[in-house]
Amino acid sequence: MSHSIYVTFRIAQKDLLDFWKAKMLVGTFMLMPILMMTMFGSMFPSTTGTSNPYRNAPMAMVVEDDGSLAIQVADQFKDISASTALFKVRDFPSFKSARDEILTGSVKGVVLIPEGFTDAFNSHRQATVLITVDDTNAQMASIIYGEAASIVGAISDNFGRSIITKMGISSDPSFVTEPIGVQRENLIGSTTNSFQFLAPGFMGLTVVMGTLSGLASAISREKEQGTMDGIMVAPISRNAIVAGKMMSQTVRGMIQAFIILGLSMVLFGVKVYGSPLLMVGVLLLGVASFAGIGIIATSIAPEQETATMMMLLLQFPMMFLSGILFPMDQLPGWLQWVGKALPLYYAADALRKVMVLSANFNQIFMDVAVLALYSVTTLGIAIPVFRKAMTR
Amino acid sequence: MKPIITTHDLTKKFGDFAAVDRINLEIMKGEVFGFLGPNGAGKSTTIRMLVTLTSPTEGTAVVDGFDVRTHADEVRRRIGLVAEKLILYPRLTAVENLMFFGELYGMSRAELRPRIDELLRMVHLENFKDMATGGYSSGMRQRLNIIRGLLHDPDILFLDEPTALLDPQSVRFVRDLVKELNANGKTIILTTHIMEEADELSNTVGIIDHGKMVAVDETAFLKSQYKCDTLEEVFLELTGRTLRDSASSRVPMGRTPMGRV
Repeated sequence: MSHSIYVTFRIAQKDLLDFWKAKMLVGTFMLMPILMMTMFGSMFPSTTGTSNPYRNAPMAMVVEDDGSLAIQVADQFKDISASTALFKVRDFPSFKSARDEILTGSVKGVVLIPEGFTDAFNSHRQATVLITVDDTNAQMASIIYGEAASIVGAISDNFGRSIITKMGISSDPSFVTEPIGVQRENLIGSTTNSFQFLAPGFMGLTVVMGTLSGLASAISREKEQGTMDGIMVAPISRNAIVAGKMMSQTVRGMIQAFIILGLSMVLFGVKVYGSPLLMVGVLLLGVASFAGIGIIATSIAPEQETATMMMLLLQFPMMFLSGILFPMDQLPGWLQWVGKALPLYYAADALRKVMVLSANFNQIFMDVAVLALYSVTTLGIAIPVFRKAMTR
Repeated sequence: MKPIITTHDLTKKFGDFAAVDRINLEIMKGEVFGFLGPNGAGKSTTIRMLVTLTSPTEGTAVVDGFDVRTHADEVRRRIGLVAEKLILYPRLTAVENLMFFGELYGMSRAELRPRIDELLRMVHLENFKDMATGGYSSGMRQRLNIIRGLLHDPDILFLDEPTALLDPQSVRFVRDLVKELNANGKTIILTTHIMEEADELSNTVGIIDHGKMVAVDETAFLKSQYKCDTLEEVFLELTGRTLRDSASSRVPMGRTPMGRV
């Protein structure tokens, strides 16, 4: 028993030493999470605070009305845009010329103050500002529209307050303009950004991808180059061989996960609100739940190339169906079922709850139970499959 | 001499195809047994069964008193495998490779250090012990591969094509090493396509074809039996001259196992 444990560690140590000596491989290995984080961090940005990626977005301003109020509103829009660095506003003579600029991609939207704007206001009717945005990117369009509308809202609010004051109403102007207010209370203590919710999923994804592809090469390469025969012909437990391979891949996966976590914290302001120990535990369980699948696939694959392709075949659906890149709710019902049948969904869910919502063990029990069930079942199948494959 | 390896109707089937078909062998303790056969004849499968890397479908194989199926670990402790594919990690140094494989056999680092030094000296690699083996020449790699199989001082050594692709100097070195190891009491099972090598090194040869043993006996006896001057002539007489990559390679027909089978 003690020799088996020692052999497990020794196989893992040898694998890691062998890996460490492949300098270019190590460089690529380190670069992968860095690239992944930079790419996804920029792809899925936050809409709050200074991390808004659409800072100083080019915006067109068209003032068709020649009244003083229209010019005043346009100037205030430009001032607020500049002070918040939300938009860089340029004037255009007509809506058509501004719209053409959207088509060429040089502006992201148009703020139009139509003719009759001042007259409507002076006649005590609601004056309307029209906003047109580049709808070719739905997410960006939503953000641009929201920011532009909020600036117009702030200007309108100021006008409303001054009108109420002029009318001599003694009440708080806010009570008249907005008798019921709304304020967002974050789920977690402080202000957060959307990447806070994405980072745990990426960590889970990286560990899984690292484990799967690492196992594919660790076992298949040794089979192919003949060194597996040297291990198999030694008087050691076959379970120790599997455990050693898993251990080395787990260490590699965890290193990548912590690179992701470190970069998320430094570059994107991600924080770990829950227990780091529980976070590591969930990651390890995630690895265990995938290791079995990886071992089965690589044991039956005739060569390394096939094993790598099999791993890719597993990784791609998981990447898109496990609620990491896209919310599960956006998927058709049957795809949601497929996603929920994959262990990555549970690993990412548990990680998110621990890291962002500071969940304790009881609160992630269901996720942990599913992952544990996956681990026991797949490893229970994998070990005899590995043994049989190596002695066929 | 008493047998150290015995097989009885040893068979390995892949589906309906019998790669090894009921072979009966006795390999004596302390001999060099040349295990010969054309490509695809069943040599490697037989060796893989004897070293516990493949499970027999039928029959038994006993190595140094232990059944390969029921006492695989006992068999593994007693054998060394020098496979045709090098069992070495090219990025690791000679010492790192040998330490790793030695520890798999339960040897401590304290035991291994002097043993590794001794073996490296034996194959003249002591000055290259801290070099990654990927940078070794073919001959150096094969010498290292052989001592890797000797680390735990096994009684039986399986050598699969130990001189393939080596230069003449390395070939001579390896052959002399085999003789020396045999003189020191090791039983050696040598697989080779080089008949001259089998003739020079083996006391006994076994020839397998189409999964069946077609001859097992002392080389001198086989030569006189078939009235041949060389082992190569005996081999061709028993296995035919047809190329084995052709569809008609399932000849010769009607051969019967003979000699000590």
